[in-house]
Amino acid sequence: GSLGTPQNLKCVTHNLHKMICTWDVSSRGRYGQTDFCYTANDLTSQVCFKTKERRVEIPVPESSSTVTIKSSGTAFATKEFVIHQKDISFVPVTPHILSLTPDFSTSTLNLKWSDNGSIFPYGLDALWQIQILRKETMEEVTQVTYHSKLTHEDLILSWNWSSDMPLECTSHYVKIRCYINATQFVGPKDWSDWSPAEVVPGKDTEPGGSGVFPLDTVVAVGSDVTFCCVHEEDQHITNMTYGSKPYKMIQLSSRSHAIRVLNASASDTSGTNVVCHLKNGMDGTVVFVGYAPDTPQNLSCETSNFLIIKCTWKPGRPSGLYGDRRTKYSLFERMSGKNVSCEVNEMNRDRACGFPVLPDQKTYDFILGVSNPIGQAQSSLLVDITQRVHPKAPEKLTVIGNNSTSIQMRWFMNGSFAGIRLLCQIEVSSGHSERKLHNVSMPGGKSSTYTAQMNALRPYTKYQFRVRCSAADHFWRWSDWSRGVEQATA
Amino acid sequence: MAAADSPSTALRRRDLCSRGIRLAGKMRADVIDLLDAYVERQGLDASASVAAVEGVPLAAVERWDEQTGTQRLLENLAAYRAFRTLLAQMLEEQREQLGEADAGLGRALAAVLLQVSAFTYHLEELLRLESRGIPGEEEDGPPPPPRLSIFEQKLRGLGVLRELAQWAVRSTRDLRQLAKPSSATGTAPGLTESP
Repeated sequence: GSLGTPQNLKCVTHNLHKMICTWDVSSRGRYGQTDFCYTANDLTSQVCFKTKERRVEIPVPESSSTVTIKSSGTAFATKEFVIHQKDISFVPVTPHILSLTPDFSTSTLNLKWSDNGSIFPYGLDALWQIQILRKETMEEVTQVTYHSKLTHEDLILSWNWSSDMPLECTSHYVKIRCYINATQFVGPKDWSDWSPAEVVPGKDTEPGGSGVFPLDTVVAVGSDVTFCCVHEEDQHITNMTYGSKPYKMIQLSSRSHAIRVLNASASDTSGTNVVCHLKNGMDGTVVFVGYAPDTPQNLSCETSNFLIIKCTWKPGRPSGLYGDRRTKYSLFERMSGKNVSCEVNEMNRDRACGFPVLPDQKTYDFILGVSNPIGQAQSSLLVDITQRVHPKAPEKLTVIGNNSTSIQMRWFMNGSFAGIRLLCQIEVSSGHSERKLHNVSMPGGKSSTYTAQMNALRPYTKYQFRVRCSAADHFWRWSDWSRGVEQATA
Repeated sequence: MAAADSPSTALRRRDLCSRGIRLAGKMRADVIDLLDAYVERQGLDASASVAAVEGVPLAAVERWDEQTGTQRLLENLAAYRAFRTLLAQMLEEQREQLGEADAGLGRALAAVLLQVSAFTYHLEELLRLESRGIPGEEEDGPPPPPRLSIFEQKLRGLGVLRELAQWAVRSTRDLRQLAKPSSATGTAPGLTESP
């Protein structure tokens, strides 16, 4: 073209409505005013305006647009272009990160950004590439693609990322870009630019910041864990040990080194020390490596007195966690909504928990919840406690009368058995003769005494008696035997 | 000038001192045993050097020879009161961290705490003997220590037990010094008026 002819017209749209067209001129001419005119296929008249820039924003045509550029540089040169939609590239606007929030306790980053959906038609698929970088050298840690659908509204999208290393160890950076699958748009489509990087500064950037991280954490056996030692500017790290074993160090920055422990094994009761040995002094942290609680086995509940229901279970594999981190148990009853936390001694094998008998409630729908910092489990049991009566041993068995062939006796039962019938068994023995068992049943009472009479006994004979009781209907378990008494017939 | 002891006071002091020396000796043996168990149970390195721990009284003292008897008693008393608080804190942390998991270590710690309390009372007896007012304990005791990490708690425990073992040695020497008849040594730093 003649001197100063406009050329290389390129148009890019960021929002499918407007496009930015740029051009240059064939030679270095004086930079003058330009007359820019365009017609879109659906517009009858031409739109013209003057501009000093070689950049204009005009509507995106349905199919094509005719553009006339008359530049008045060294000479008047006019060039006409026909822009088809297929020639226009679609590059979405660079996403804007709204917030990057660290949760140091879980080493998680939460990213929030706006999807700018309002400028796009409803229902377009959007892809978001999120890049995580780390260290002073901003090395890429991972790049993840997140999918969403635009809804013609500006939605705030949120995404979490769990770091394999405590966030305190070194600075973490996040960048994001997007790609919008505008199926109706026939021009070339491309990823947006990367957003500026948002940063969560590490402790190694804090003046005087130091420490070994994660601090006093709990992890599951078999975990891979990264520990880091952040030290002050004037310090020098010599080595890092896990338990008593030195580990190869990975430098994160001038003030931060890490070690990577693979397949961690269960720690002692006081935890495993992770020690950072420095030129003068040391720092450290403790990690507790244990197991999530097993599902409680053989959950069983009974009552001895209709005042307290006692549930027992087998805990399964010990968690290896103690003190504040021990496995905790709670008993929840679904019908009443009542919840009881259980005091359990982690050192003994048997586990038991008491739950109050509730007025006018026979059936209990229990959920035994078990949890520790690593995990949780539960077992459930539906039980009618009138069918789970296991009384305490009868007390104060006393002879209250006797004659030559019969003996009356009395005993005391602790508990409220008013709602059921009791079945009691009296064992009678004398000398070397065979022990005989006599069953007697009676209505239950509330912390009452009960009596029975043994007949058809031999005169002038010394007998030993003891008694045990259970529920007459729906037998569950005998109580223990009472203490024995001895009585001779007259 | 120090008033000469009455024979009964001197006798009483020597008795208290000799019982104190035996108590300090037993305490030191138990602290050493506890220290070994503590290092092993806490997964620490026995040779680890531990920086001076805030609130732990140092046994080392300059010009030990020049101390008066009263100074010896008062410094010992202040130290063992501090150890009583520190050991009680360790016991609390032990329960918090381990629950019933390491009852043995807990019992050993409680036993040493008992001995420290007994020794503290013993020192107060000695001060009473000299009709020397017993300094009251700070009303609500020392300010609670800052919340330490678990590793820092372990190191502090190591520091406390090591220093307590040193104090048991020093107390034995102090009590031997106090047991000497003050008249015999003239300027001997028995229980003279503090300068």
